[in-house]
Amino acid sequence: MAEKVLKKEKVGEALKELSKFRLFAPSKSNGTILYKQIEDPSDACLDFGNTTVPAKKIVFPQTETLFRFMLGNPELKEKNVEEEGTTVVFGIRPCDARAMGIVDNLFSWDYQDPYYLKRRELTTLVGLACIQPPSINCFCTSVGGEPFSEENLDVLLVDLGEMYLFKAITEKGEKLKTTLGSQLDEAPSDAVKKSGELADKANVQIKRTIDTKGIPEKLPTLWENELWKRVSAACLGCGICTYLCPTCHCFDIQDEVEGAEGRRARMWDSCMFREYTLHASGHNPRPTRRERTRNRINHKYSYFPSKFQVIACVGCGRCINLCPVNIDILEILGQVVDA
Amino acid sequence: MVDNAKLKDVAKEVISREDVRLLIGYRPGTYGFRARPAFVENSDQVDELIFSPACVSNLSSYLTLEEKTPLPRGVEPDLRKVAVMVKGCDSRALVQQLVEKAYDREHILVLGIPCRGVVDMAKVENRFPGVISGEIAMEGDNLVFSFDGKEETVPKEELLAEKCKRCRYPTPLISDLLLDDEVERFADDDYSDITAMEGKSTEEKWAFWEEQFSRCIRCYSCRNVCPMCYCEDCVLDRLKPVWARRSVDISENTVYHISRAYHLAGRCIQCGECERVCPVDIPLMLLNRKFYRDVEELYDYEPGIKVEEKPLLSTFSVDDKEDFIL
Amino acid sequence: MKNPYIPYEVKIVDAWYETPGDRCIKTFKVTFSDEKIWDTWSHQPGQCAMVGIPGVGESMFCISSSPTEKGYLRFSIMKVGKNTSALHELEAGDTFFIRGPYGNTFPLEEWKGKDIVTIGGGIGQAPLRPVIQYIRDNRDDFGELTVIYGARTSADHCFKAEFEELNACGDACCHLSIDVQEENWPHFVGFVPALLMEVEPSPENAIAVTCGPPVMIKFVLENLEKLGFTPDQVYTTLENRMKCGIGKCGRCNAGNLYVCKDGPVFSYAQLKEVPEAFA
Ligand SMILES: Cc1cc2nc3c(=O)[nH]c(=O)nc-3n(C[C@H](O)[C@H](O)[C@H](O)COP(=O)(O)OP(=O)(O)OC[C@H]3O[C@@H](n4cnc5c(N)ncnc54)[C@H](O)[C@@H]3O)c2cc1C
Ligand code: SF4
Ligand code: SF4
Ligand code: SF4
Ligand code: SF4
Ligand code: FES
Repeated sequence: MAEKVLKKEKVGEALKELSKFRLFAPSKSNGTILYKQIEDPSDACLDFGNTTVPAKKIVFPQTETLFRFMLGNPELKEKNVEEEGTTVVFGIRPCDARAMGIVDNLFSWDYQDPYYLKRRELTTLVGLACIQPPSINCFCTSVGGEPFSEENLDVLLVDLGEMYLFKAITEKGEKLKTTLGSQLDEAPSDAVKKSGELADKANVQIKRTIDTKGIPEKLPTLWENELWKRVSAACLGCGICTYLCPTCHCFDIQDEVEGAEGRRARMWDSCMFREYTLHASGHNPRPTRRERTRNRINHKYSYFPSKFQVIACVGCGRCINLCPVNIDILEILGQVVDA
Repeated sequence: MVDNAKLKDVAKEVISREDVRLLIGYRPGTYGFRARPAFVENSDQVDELIFSPACVSNLSSYLTLEEKTPLPRGVEPDLRKVAVMVKGCDSRALVQQLVEKAYDREHILVLGIPCRGVVDMAKVENRFPGVISGEIAMEGDNLVFSFDGKEETVPKEELLAEKCKRCRYPTPLISDLLLDDEVERFADDDYSDITAMEGKSTEEKWAFWEEQFSRCIRCYSCRNVCPMCYCEDCVLDRLKPVWARRSVDISENTVYHISRAYHLAGRCIQCGECERVCPVDIPLMLLNRKFYRDVEELYDYEPGIKVEEKPLLSTFSVDDKEDFIL
Repeated sequence: MKNPYIPYEVKIVDAWYETPGDRCIKTFKVTFSDEKIWDTWSHQPGQCAMVGIPGVGESMFCISSSPTEKGYLRFSIMKVGKNTSALHELEAGDTFFIRGPYGNTFPLEEWKGKDIVTIGGGIGQAPLRPVIQYIRDNRDDFGELTVIYGARTSADHCFKAEFEELNACGDACCHLSIDVQEENWPHFVGFVPALLMEVEPSPENAIAVTCGPPVMIKFVLENLEKLGFTPDQVYTTLENRMKCGIGKCGRCNAGNLYVCKDGPVFSYAQLKEVPEAFA
């Protein structure tokens, strides 16, 4: 079957077409790249490294209503996610798409999380391959991904200079291809070959790596190792490395009341916060940032793989890039390997 | 600039003292040009210590951040001193913490670093992207970047942190050992951006802050890094009663930021850490400097200058302006 | 499929105080407002439910009635915070909401034919009560039942009348304790782990189940070991903080266990492998 391309001059048109859905694309806000719901195609910015907040925010919003109620009235009105309608994430990086696949395990084991899963069902992921890894702290190739990974994507776009190769991967992707119809053109004959060359080039530009083999099994043996104190000494206990991690999924549930109306909502939470495990008595099973850091790393590299057979880290590098005090998961993993 | 060989010698002496349990300084980071906090507990660890224009963190925050685990029965707490390296701006946090009696003066040993400025790391990484490992030095009015076997020189004002371009106190205002010659004041805050902001209409101001605060993800990094935000039980965490809800939206985010700004009025010492750490680039110093300037103009008060000073909110003078009380 | 976050309304049939004081314990006997829910509801001893009031919040409590007690559920709730205080305001005829049942169960099938020793402290008797009740209602399936229970003072004892009845009818042998001597207290004085050594149950073909405050559990486990109980003969429950109860929110983890799903019931043999279990 003939491949398609999206010429760069037609990107605006294509986005216009897709904006009939709930369309999200990277957008520049005060210098920060964030996903934004796009109505005006000129708001989108496809010339970006990666978004500061990962696309998980679109399927797993930072704050989300579970149900609404009137005080004293037993009727609970469930939030209807279906109403949000078809959603397209345009320009998601392959690592962040892989991350959604990983988080799917959590929201669908045993009890099915209706909010998350419904939204995932409604969402089409249009990936943008990393011609050049966006940061020196990208290490996707160490954890089963790569800059051109198609895993969990519906479409992969590859920047060929004047145009994007448009590769539909799933049925959802094919549907999107049909929707875009006239905005797409026949691919030049060398497009696929060129894309392959770019992929090879991108792979070798990943500068930081770690051999993760054996880490999940080794971590439990290092529980009391002195490395945890050393690597967590500078930690501020903030929410950056967890809120902005595409695979972190912890949430809190709170009721909020305004007059006679109320809602039960869930919101992102972080195991790096002191209150996360604090008991009424003042007792805290994870009393310092040493135990919390140990939990964060163990959760990603040991607990999650022991339950779902996949490491809960896609090597996006955000936690390294954005940590204000340079706590570096690659350095920590390196010490785990060496210990 | 501070001689790194001398710094290591001093550090070795300090950490070898019987009355010092910990020395907080800087060491090279794990990538790029970064430097990061170092926690030195014995003299074997001093070799990694450095000071350079990459040393942006305000280490005084760690004096109030340290978490203590309950001690087993019969074990005495370690009350020995903590030695801490501070730049001029950072030192004011120590002063203000002491003014507020956060701990005793004997608890700390201050290693003062007269400072000519540190970099804005985001600007540096923009200028030299993809560098795996490099170093920054200051030579006169230039920054020298060494990486991949080469050197590049850049005039310092291009890559200096904004706070350094406004810095009034480059030499630490409190110190037990000064690691270099004093540095004269080389800058001041002209508040031009604040004045411009004040000139805007309420609607314009609101629109500006609404845009900014709507990006906030409430990671609390700005609060946690702040040397003056050290309440054990922060009102913004409390659930009984709820001051700021956990939900992240423009109204709760605004409550968060306004509460924090008020709690820091007359206390914020302008280290700029909150703005530096914000992952979504909210210009928090615009808010903090507005309060700072108002406090200075209304009460002729600058926090973090003299340990003997009383906290602003516990002083009253008959000259205090009252026109803001309706 | 039903949305697991949406709770059912229950009506309070009866409510009474078990203990007085600041951290008083109140027991609620409830039934579903919509009787039809009983057709789909089934729980086993050890399981829990999220109990709450819309507008206030939810918290996890063990279901302190046995499935053999038909037509109602029981919860015994200690007043410690926001949600529990609001629940304590409620009386017979009032309603609240529950969702569940959650978590695993005590493996009572496996325990058939064995002697059972329960060792509880304070509110920790709540998860043990359904075990005792279940055994009473299937009395011939089990060997001897020994109930060891203590609280700070005699007033702090939960389920007082039931212990008396248990002793009287001969279903079990109950041993009670208080921490410090009171007038007219005929039973043991001292902490529960000490009472355990006094009672000295035999590990032969026996299972020990213990629930209570972490310090008590720590010493009870040590003492059970001294008495010759092997780790796989000993069971307890973990009560980590929980938000979702269904293995999603991440809050309750102890090592690689989701306490809300993989627990709350664990054998000591299992917990020995989890470094965070007794943190
Ligand atoms: C599996 C399980 C079974 C339980 N069974 C019972 C029971 O049968 N009877 C009973 O009275 N209680 C039981 N609990 C404890 C109960 O869930 C908490 O006491 C309750 O959540 C407190 O809610 P609150 O809103 O009143 O307190 P909040 O106002 O939310 O909190 C008050 C304080 O309690 C702390 N807290 C919240 N949850 C817990 C917890 N799980 N453990 C320790 N501290 C906590 C908070 O840190 C806070 O400081 C059980 C807990 C679990 C996890
Ligand atoms: S590791 Fe860094 S980003 Fe994570 S909590 Fe600690 S200071 Fe914040
Ligand atoms: S742990 Fe760090 S590198 Fe891994 S996915 Fe999360 S943010 Fe990215
Ligand atoms: S508010 Fe910001 S500038 Fe002021 S002391 Fe705190 S971190 Fe420093
Ligand atoms: S650091 Fe930035 S995003 Fe985080 S809470 Fe502060 S203002 Fe919000
Ligand atoms: S309570 Fe949410 S995962 Fe266990």
